[in-house]
Amino acid sequence: MERLHDPSLIDQPVLVGGHGRRGVVATASYEARRFGCHSAQPMSQALRLCPQAIVVPSRFDRYGPVSRDFHRMLDETSPAVESVGIDEAYVDLTGLEGSADPAAARRAAEGIRTRVRDELGIAVSICIAGSRTTAKVGSDAAKPDGLLDVPPGDDARFLAPRPVRELPLVGPNFGAALAALSVHTVGQAAALDRDWLEQRFGRAGIVLHDRAHGVDPTAVRPGGRPARSISREVTFSNDVTEIDTLHHTLRRHAERVGADLRRANRRARTVTLKLRWSDFTTLTRSRTLDRPVQATSALTAAGNELLAELFRSQGQRPVRLLGLGAANLVDDVTQLGFDELRPEEATTRRQEDLDRTLDSIRKRFGDRSVNRGP
Amino acid sequence: MRLSCQQEDLHRGLSAVARAIPARSALPITQHVLLTADGDQITLSATDAETIAITYTITASIDEGGSITMPSRLLSDFVATLPRENIEMTLAERSRQVSLSCARNDASIGGMDPDDFPPIPPVDDSATISVEAARFRRALSQVVFAAAADDSRPVLTGVHFAIDGTEMRLAAADGFRLAVHTLELPDSASECSVIVPARALAELTRLLAEAEDAISVTFNAAGTQVQFDLGHAKLVAQLIQGTFPDTQRLIPEGHTSRTEVAVGEFNRETRIAQIFARDGSGIVRLVASPGEGGAPGRLTISARAEELGTNEGEIDAIVEGEEVKVAFNGRYLREVLDVLDTDRVAIETQDQPSPGVIRPLGDDSYVHVIMPMFVQW
Repeated sequence: MERLHDPSLIDQPVLVGGHGRRGVVATASYEARRFGCHSAQPMSQALRLCPQAIVVPSRFDRYGPVSRDFHRMLDETSPAVESVGIDEAYVDLTGLEGSADPAAARRAAEGIRTRVRDELGIAVSICIAGSRTTAKVGSDAAKPDGLLDVPPGDDARFLAPRPVRELPLVGPNFGAALAALSVHTVGQAAALDRDWLEQRFGRAGIVLHDRAHGVDPTAVRPGGRPARSISREVTFSNDVTEIDTLHHTLRRHAERVGADLRRANRRARTVTLKLRWSDFTTLTRSRTLDRPVQATSALTAAGNELLAELFRSQGQRPVRLLGLGAANLVDDVTQLGFDELRPEEATTRRQEDLDRTLDSIRKRFGDRSVNRGP
Repeated sequence: MRLSCQQEDLHRGLSAVARAIPARSALPITQHVLLTADGDQITLSATDAETIAITYTITASIDEGGSITMPSRLLSDFVATLPRENIEMTLAERSRQVSLSCARNDASIGGMDPDDFPPIPPVDDSATISVEAARFRRALSQVVFAAAADDSRPVLTGVHFAIDGTEMRLAAADGFRLAVHTLELPDSASECSVIVPARALAELTRLLAEAEDAISVTFNAAGTQVQFDLGHAKLVAQLIQGTFPDTQRLIPEGHTSRTEVAVGEFNRETRIAQIFARDGSGIVRLVASPGEGGAPGRLTISARAEELGTNEGEIDAIVEGEEVKVAFNGRYLREVLDVLDTDRVAIETQDQPSPGVIRPLGDDSYVHVIMPMFVQW
């Protein structure tokens, strides 16, 4: 993405992410990945591995419009598109005209690749497969700019030599547990007894068994799964003791979480505070509210109260990380009341109207175009 | 005290007054019912000692007058189960034990000193108005349910009585809906504006079911109490102090669309939609489309339960003005449709999201306003 804006970055090892001493890599170019850099790695570690890398800050405001165009092109290909991120999606091609012809899917995939390259200047990798798991693993394998076609029924054979960590369901902990059992490839996992896997890992064991055998009945869900929670957190460059700084940070988080909620037409029943002391002890506290909220002010108020409660019970110490989250999300529906009889709700509604206005100003003129006074 | 009375009379009286008794109380005697035998009748009384007191009179054959209190729950459950025969009741004054016998069943129930029973203050008859029982009952049933259930604003837990000349205007609002019924009084009354607890009026509505003629309503001079006198039964309530909001201002003036439908069909479709709405936020969506080219207009009533299913019903409608899309809490719709007794009803709306003004056709005495839900269409 960043290369679109700065062609000089092409073919260079590039790290996108926070530059500060506690920054984290959001994404790394394929050139940088060769040095062992990957996303979610501390920036300092990535720079040790690849000192010549060019570090570019994340500029999410640039990615949004491109992501929207990308998804629009997918939507024009098939009615069943499940978005799983700004740059990733599952597309159900079974309903396409002439789908009895296996070449039809391939033509559609080629069409998407050509359009995205021509119109957005971005390379996409696609895997055509009979299941979501294979499509996901295959599209990762096809990167940086490829098209893979795994015929239906060939899933298990295709997956067998791949590292078991590439299966979406195997995270770092599950991967480590499997590695401890000398299970490194999907094929090795497939060879394990299903009952034994269940005994050892519970439901995850059964699912692993199925996936390793190429069995994945999960359908493509149009529109994508609605987010279960929305949160923002920040690791301070220097541990913070001033309460004002913490309050200010919470409000900035609330501003962003609120904007995400409003954009997604959702409201939060629960507000969560995450805090890490300088000694890395991490605490979370949450509060479920009477009425689902969306306003920046309501999120800020809940966050401040949770922080005060936490300080009361735990004492105040230097803070390394502070986060604010919205969970228990519900659709944005509100019972309107008579303003004359429900003045407090009229106030909430005015605040929400104000938030929407700020959102639209920021959308037009950028994130920093307008700020709240102290 | 020694007397005999009919099981069904005592049963009816006890059930009527028991409604005044609070579910929990610090005062044990408020769980009791007071029986007073005098002349040829027994007066039964119960109160929560705070907002409501009910007395009910039944005929009896009294050999010796007197009074006693007895635990209401025990006594009414016992009497309710007895056969429809004569009950003999005798009080042993000193031990306060009451012996009751009916057919071949005998009971002994311990009472308490009637002098400890919370006094039911008499309501002076400074301003008494007369109102026809059946019409009053109908008016109450159309208004009382709209009062607030939570007491964050106490005045909204009551029904506003505004009396002026021969007009009695009853209004209730809980912040999301408003119900107003205007009754014509047979005689002119002096101007009066009070708030009566909705809970007391719900009990009154039940008592009114067996009242036939006019009843008298008396507000005391101090403006603290009201008494409803049904002849055989009386209900006294403490008035709610405060100023009721100006409800007239809450009724939107004019409309841009008007949808007229049959109450029965609308109620049925809302009932169905509500089954689907209950797992969401209770949202029932209405879309009223005017008829085109001679075709009748229609109203669709729909609801969806996230991840469970959707429902859409359609009924004929006469739609004047623009197409309307409005969402309401299904319960609010149902509760008003349930109390309408006309065949047809009109829903008036303005710009969206707009309050819905519900007017039974051919009955100007009633108007109901429901605030909409803000939803993504």
